[in-house]
Order: sequence, then C-alpha cells, then structure tokens
Amino acid sequence: MKEFAIFWGCTIPTRFPFIEKSVRTVLDALKLPYTDIDGFTCCPEKSLVNNVDSGMWTLTAARNVAVADGEGVNVVSPCTGCISNLATVAKDLKTDTTKKKEVNKTLKEIGREFKGESTLKHLIPFLHDDFGVRPIKDKVKYSFKGMQVAIHYGCHMMRPGTALKADDPLNPKKFDTLVEALGAKSMQYMTKLTCCGQGLDRVDQHDKALTLARLKLRELKNLGADAMVLCCPSCYLQFDNNQFLMEKEGEKFGIPILYYTDMLGLAMGINPKDLGIDSHRMDAGPFLEKWAKLCQEEDALTSAERMKEGLNADSAFI
Amino acid sequence: MEESGLNFDLLKKCADCGACYDLCPSSLHIEGYDPRAVIKDILAGDFEKWTDSEHIWQCLECHHCVEICFQHYGFENAMTAMRKYATRSGKHPIQVKRGWDMFAKTGRLGEPNLGARKRLNLPEPAESGEEEFKKLFAIYKADKKTGTEEKNES
Ligand code: SF4
Ligand code: SF4
Repeated sequence: MKEFAIFWGCTIPTRFPFIEKSVRTVLDALKLPYTDIDGFTCCPEKSLVNNVDSGMWTLTAARNVAVADGEGVNVVSPCTGCISNLATVAKDLKTDTTKKKEVNKTLKEIGREFKGESTLKHLIPFLHDDFGVRPIKDKVKYSFKGMQVAIHYGCHMMRPGTALKADDPLNPKKFDTLVEALGAKSMQYMTKLTCCGQGLDRVDQHDKALTLARLKLRELKNLGADAMVLCCPSCYLQFDNNQFLMEKEGEKFGIPILYYTDMLGLAMGINPKDLGIDSHRMDAGPFLEKWAKLCQEEDALTSAERMKEGLNADSAFI
Repeated sequence: MEESGLNFDLLKKCADCGACYDLCPSSLHIEGYDPRAVIKDILAGDFEKWTDSEHIWQCLECHHCVEICFQHYGFENAMTAMRKYATRSGKHPIQVKRGWDMFAKTGRLGEPNLGARKRLNLPEPAESGEEEFKKLFAIYKADKKTGTEEKNES
C-alpha cells in the first residue's frame, strides 16, 4: 500500500484531539503506512471561504493537494468536509485545463505545482476499499453482536459524487458494511441520510442547528439505538456537543456518539481510554456496559456449547 | 447576478420543477426556507430583497439537491450565489467575518490544542503551511488588483 498522509483539518486538532487519538491508535494497531507531513493549511471550508472569495478557495485547496503531490503520498482524511472540499477543487482543476494552468502559474511563485496525482479519500471508503472488509473482520476479537447502532454518514463523505467517487451519493453502503463487519446491526431509519445541520451553527443560527440535531436524536431514541456512529468532526460536534447542551436544558436523548475508529478499536480489544472515549461529552458508559454484558454472555454461551460438544462426543471408554 | 455564474436556463426549469423539496432537509424542517421563491426572484431580477434574509444562510450545502436533480444543478447553486452577493454587500452573519479573518491571518480556523495533546500522549503536530499560505494570499491579492485595474483601463 502506498504511503498516505493524514489530512486532519482544523476541527479535530483544535477541538477534538481525542478523535485524533482514536484514529491514530487504530491506524497504528492496523499497522497502516500513514505519515504526518508539514505544510497543510485549512482545506479550506467551502461554506465560509468560497462565499467570501472563490479564487482563494480554489488556490488554498490546490496548494494543499500540491503539498501531498510534492511528497508523493496519497491523502486520507477522517473529516468529510476536508476531503470533499479538496476533491471538489481537484476535480474542477483536472477537468478545466485553463483553470489548472492559471492556478499553477500562481502556485509556481511559491514553488508548488498541482498535479492531482495524490488520491484523496475519506477514512471510511479508504478502510473499505484499500484496507478491506475481510481484513477488518479478521481483526475483530470482541464482536458487537446484539448491538444496534445508527450510522450517520455525513453528507460530504460521498457528495459531490462526481468529485469524490467514494460511494453511491444517494444510497451509500460502505459505512454500513464496515459497521456490520464488527458484528453490530446497522439500523435503517428514516432520517439516516439527512444532513446533520451543523452548518447552521456556523452562521449564527444555533436554534435551527438544534432543530436539525433533534430530528435524528428523537428518532433514534424512539427506536432504541445503542449509539450513533459517525466519522466527521463537524457531525460529531452537532450530535455530541449539541445533544449534551440540550440534555443540560432538560431534553433527554441519551444517545452515545462514537467515531468509527472507536468501534473498530474496541472490537480489536483496545481500551476505551486509549481511544479517547472518556473525553466525549455524551457518556458512552451505557453502550460499553451493555456490550460488556453481551460479550460475557457470548463467552458463557460458547463455553456451554463447547462443553455440550465435548459431552456429546464419542466416549473414549466405551 | 450576471457574474454569479448562475445558469439561468437551468434555473428556469428549476423554478417549475421543485422535485427536491421532498429531500432538502432545510425545506422540510425549517419554516420559511423556500429556494424556489428565491429562484423566481432571481429570474425576475428581484433578488436583492433576499440579501438580508436569514434563509439564504440556511442551505446546508449537503448537495442532496444537486445529486437528485435531473439537470444535476440544484437549489444549492442559487443559494450559494445569494450568499456571495450578500457577503459582498456586507450582509453576512458575524461568524462568517470572524471565520474569514482567522483564515486570512493564519490559513487555519483554529490552533491545535497543545495541552490536550500532551495529556493524550499525541505527537507534536506537523508544521502548518501558514507562511507559504500568507505569501500565496499576498500574490493573489496583488494579481487581483492588477486584474481589476486592467479591466478598468480597457
Ligand atoms: S444543498 Fe441546500 S438546498 Fe440543496 S438539499 Fe441541501 S440544504 Fe437543500
Ligand atoms: S434543483 Fe433540480 S430537482 Fe431541484 S427543483 Fe431545481 S430542477 Fe428540480
């Protein structure tokens, strides 16, 4: 596998370093050839930077890709927004040679060139396509059998579809496959593909952001989800932080929010603390307790089955 | 709106279609969010009345409309154009300005939390491209200025 740089973006290192912990711990445990390279900046955030200046939006993203191009590495990001922004600009430049020439003329002045050779992938499709589902299954020591979790994809994991080519933009499956590879049931629910709505918090419309957050949380509470699993810091902010704020005001949902790497790490037998799960605002305790109980039952079951098998076997004496 | 990059032919069809109301999260869940009303005003040359509206900031850029659209166009394009227009006119949420200032100054939207990194036993963060970014930004601004001057002269 070609070496790849992790594009952490701004939100994870600034607000959620424990997510970085979770991702690193799991990539280390999987022995994946990742690296940290100097020189990245904000991807940049489309809804912010593009509104103010499209030229700077394109140049900044092109420069980031050029940094990876220069190092000869691929890019993988645990943030859906970052990868979608980078891929959107990269696709734009690859299909518009005049624009690409213009951009490279400017980049040349700082000694960079956008080639677009580095592949740009979000962590979920990367794990699915490049690491593989079978190898993930093989890593599972403690299955999540008996647990039902709700996947929140995060719009920018697969949209715009033409730029990312990560999954079906309207009916994605890869995240489901990865969750089920760990033995958990991926719930089908009405609002599954609805946007998290965190963007509204960035334009001073907090109450509306909460309206969107409630939508999923209420449904999941009614359906009895054991947790929500996602893989984007912005979605995480929306469902962990904003859920916590609403609970403080008296609205109870009780939905633990997990990063995919949290679940994968736990299934591999990694301690929750080493995955930074104790730093989440929404308590993951109930999820972990239920799981521990199921694991014990499973253990007891297999031991009972083993004993039964032994007793049914032909006797060594008669 | 000519410089908005909007395709008016596609927008016209959009004004008659409305298929994506059924899956646009903001249309479904935020009262008063009605992209087609905005599109009709854009087509009628009456878009200024939306400049002040909070609704143009409620598009989540989830790209759902673009993906489902038979023209692969989407409500989103109209809302993005309106936001750009509003931002140029200084009618943007305070947070947008705050975010932009941070971005323009540092090339990032926040600094890594070093204390927490230490506690979590995380490695030193890689160096950011801040200096190079600043150079790029300066070059871009200078190019843009000469570009506008040339345009004005011709
Ligand atoms: S991108 Fe905007 S207009 Fe389109 S579906 Fe999403 S919220 Fe609605
Ligand atoms: S964006 Fe496309 S699908 Fe939606 S109303 Fe307009 S034309 Fe119809």
